[in-house]
Amino acid sequence: MKVGVPRALLYHRYGQFWEQYLTGLGAEVVVSRRTDKVLLQTGLGYVSSEVCLPIKIMAGHIEELAGQVDALFLPRLLWLEDKLYACPKMIGIVDIARMMLGDRVRIVAPKIQGSLWLPHFGAGMDLCHDPVRVVRALARAGKVLPVHNQVPDFPAGEKRVALIGHFYNLGDDFISRPMIDTFTSHGYRICTKDELPEMVLRSRQGFARSIRWVYERELYNAFRFLVDKVGGVCMIVSMGCGPDSLVAEFMREEAQQRDIPFLQLVIDEHTGTAGIVTRIEAFLELAERRRSRPKAA
Amino acid sequence: MKASFPNVGYDTYALKTFLEDLGAEVIPAPPNSRRTIELGSLHSPELICMPFKITLGNMLEALELGADTMFMAAGARKCRFGYYHYLQEQALKNLGKECRFIPVTQYSPLDFVFRIMPGVFGVPPWRVVRAVAKMLAKSQLTQEFRQHLNRKMAVDFDGAEQAKPKALAIIEQAHTLREIQAARGEVRRIFNLNGLQPQVRLGLVGEIYFMIEQFASQEIEKELGKMGAEVVFERSLYRHIRHLLSSDPAFVRSERLARRYLQESPGGEAIRTVGEAVHFQKQGLDGIVHIFPFTCMPENIALEALQKLSEDTGIPVLSLSFDEHTSRTGLLTRLEAFVDLVKRRKLGRSLHRN
Repeated sequence: MKVGVPRALLYHRYGQFWEQYLTGLGAEVVVSRRTDKVLLQTGLGYVSSEVCLPIKIMAGHIEELAGQVDALFLPRLLWLEDKLYACPKMIGIVDIARMMLGDRVRIVAPKIQGSLWLPHFGAGMDLCHDPVRVVRALARAGKVLPVHNQVPDFPAGEKRVALIGHFYNLGDDFISRPMIDTFTSHGYRICTKDELPEMVLRSRQGFARSIRWVYERELYNAFRFLVDKVGGVCMIVSMGCGPDSLVAEFMREEAQQRDIPFLQLVIDEHTGTAGIVTRIEAFLELAERRRSRPKAA
Repeated sequence: MKASFPNVGYDTYALKTFLEDLGAEVIPAPPNSRRTIELGSLHSPELICMPFKITLGNMLEALELGADTMFMAAGARKCRFGYYHYLQEQALKNLGKECRFIPVTQYSPLDFVFRIMPGVFGVPPWRVVRAVAKMLAKSQLTQEFRQHLNRKMAVDFDGAEQAKPKALAIIEQAHTLREIQAARGEVRRIFNLNGLQPQVRLGLVGEIYFMIEQFASQEIEKELGKMGAEVVFERSLYRHIRHLLSSDPAFVRSERLARRYLQESPGGEAIRTVGEAVHFQKQGLDGIVHIFPFTCMPENIALEALQKLSEDTGIPVLSLSFDEHTSRTGLLTRLEAFVDLVKRRKLGRSLHRN
């Protein structure tokens, strides 16, 4: 049996886990190719023009896979621990996929509510029917889930910049490569939330407590943690991202209070690389000047 | 205490009655205008949705009139709406506007009755319950008023325009439960149809703020009425409060009907939007108009479902997203074309004969 996994959204966090798990179940896993212009163009035809870029890309991946596989593995994240919700579009994309594909492809969509294990077990039983094998595959796959407990070290004198953005944006080379390249080519180290320990990301201190979106809380906590340790904060927001549009405002406010340069890059399918590079270069110039300015002033 | 709150269309009367009943002096925000939205947008994040801008504008204008306490709904889980008050409070503070800001959590009626309202007004909980009952009755009245008005506009636009201020005056003056009850009959009499029937009936679905506040949707009900289409709607503040009190059978029905398209609620009101659209389609309405703020997350998911509904059943669907830059002319052109299409579809044969 061929099971398709779209290389978008949650794949950028759970992809390895899913591949391992599905292979363990005896399925042939087909992961869609890396995002490119053609995929994006396909996606644009299936969803409304107002949704955010990652969702459009996701639609492209789904359509791409639909012709090649027997089933699509498309977990639906409703909420994670502490009743923290996923964003509406991430919840809705599974329904959109069902409406897009109709009866063409079977969709296996475990509902993740709090814990990963039970829904994944259910989905495994759907595909494989052998509980022993499912449990074994799940246990083995669970080992590849990334665990971060170590706080990365921040040596003095290093040029650093915090890149605040959702993992599905930063993890997708099509979206983030030009930005990351610009930063690194200017000798900056990029700090993202992915290298921070769980403890920091799950923190409920301060305003983070009021944020009820799981990935938004992570972003905010990462921002709070990194803001003192970097020369500037760059936030990548996809056009139409609801949670970001709110929380970014709090980050901007805080960055301003601490006098840290803050750049908000809004991206959509029309964003050109040249414009992004120019803005980042201007931003880095600002950070540079601030660095060389005497501390006492 | 000089209390104020953002406008919510005709239901502003209901909320005013509620606060007055609890002993507050109410300073209503001035009616929404170009200035409201400009003032609001000036101090809003650029990517935020439109209700934020209008409600912030309302607050600023009400504070100019001397209000000192601001009520704002809060708590909407997956939707951005629940976070408005954090940013708005901060925006007011940054502007140096002194006021007491009271976010009112929607999803906990007990909290509302026993903690928040008694805490603010120093009244016993039963007074709050009584005031809520009165508010419910009044918002039901405004809901009926809108239904009568929409029907009347579709058959006799000028007559409806003349009757509207009269009916609004009656609604404003109804304070006790008995008066409200009497007003219901009177409003019905004012909008007497004289046996006329509207040509086509359109179902209006969408995001709740847009369903309640006519200004946000550029008075879409009025424009459609002018074109001879009766606008049927189900969403109103009355139903929303009923839903919050877990006593709205229409919500259960919507949830059931929406399941064919959305298996999980993506938050906000998408489930209701889809459920109501399916319901309207089953009732044999001639078309669906779907309104929501630009970049609204849940409604964009609902939009896909409505497209699918249209594909499946053939019912015409027009989805419109609004922001402060939405051009009125463009909107009217689209509405005209849509109403034309719906009329032709319904009366097609007779049109050919003429």
